[in-house]
Amino acid sequence: MLSLPLALPSKTEFDQAVSEVVPEMAPDVVHIRHNIAQDWDGDWAIYFRVLLSDEALTKLGEVTSKVESLLDRRLDPLSMGLFSYFNYRTVSEQADLREESWN
Amino acid sequence: MSFADDLLEQADHLANWPPEKPKQASRRRAVSTAYYAVFHLLIDEAVNNWAVERQRSVLGRTIDHIGIKEKCADLLKRAKSDPDMPAELISVAQLFIKLREHRSLADYDNSKRWSIADVEAVLEAAQRAFADWRTIRTQPAAEDFLMQLLFPKNPRT
Repeated sequence: MLSLPLALPSKTEFDQAVSEVVPEMAPDVVHIRHNIAQDWDGDWAIYFRVLLSDEALTKLGEVTSKVESLLDRRLDPLSMGLFSYFNYRTVSEQADLREESWN
Repeated sequence: MSFADDLLEQADHLANWPPEKPKQASRRRAVSTAYYAVFHLLIDEAVNNWAVERQRSVLGRTIDHIGIKEKCADLLKRAKSDPDMPAELISVAQLFIKLREHRSLADYDNSKRWSIADVEAVLEAAQRAFADWRTIRTQPAAEDFLMQLLFPKNPRT
């Protein structure tokens, strides 16, 4: 198990780094939400919830590779003692599932 | 095709069943199966390096899931100071860790709703892991990684 996260940037710095990625990935990426929690093994991790345009589903591999690479490079979670996990859904799927944490 | 390849194919079938609207049960099983495809790929590759064929299945059963995650995490830390670490091997390590978490959630977290995008992203990740592994499987760094799966205890220096 990884130990407790090392010194984390402030929430503002985190939010800024994440928000910088969104315009770079527009219009495929609509927004990104995140939280830090322990994963199923008890290791600390940052969880990204990436809301995609419906059209992004047609080129999902390309979009997911790029967004994960950008966020991992900008934030370097592992240097902070965090694994990074990504979840995806489209605007239509969220309209159907309506989960608050994705808004 | 290997057992691992068959699992990857099965994950794809599950993700799209029934075709008109895949059920949560199918999506969750697809995610889990995609992870197991990569898990068995790495185990098969590791034990196939063992010369005594009759011992390979027993050897494979000594490799556990958390052990692979730990070795992947170790590799990612080492990669930061090793410019010669193949990018594809780093990718495999990253993808395994991510797939493991997805598998745990798919198998055990009944509160999570899996979207089609989520499941397709997991399948893409597993397919990338296979492709990346096969690109570098004979390189020394990949061979060393497999050895660490079989013998996780660090050698005396």
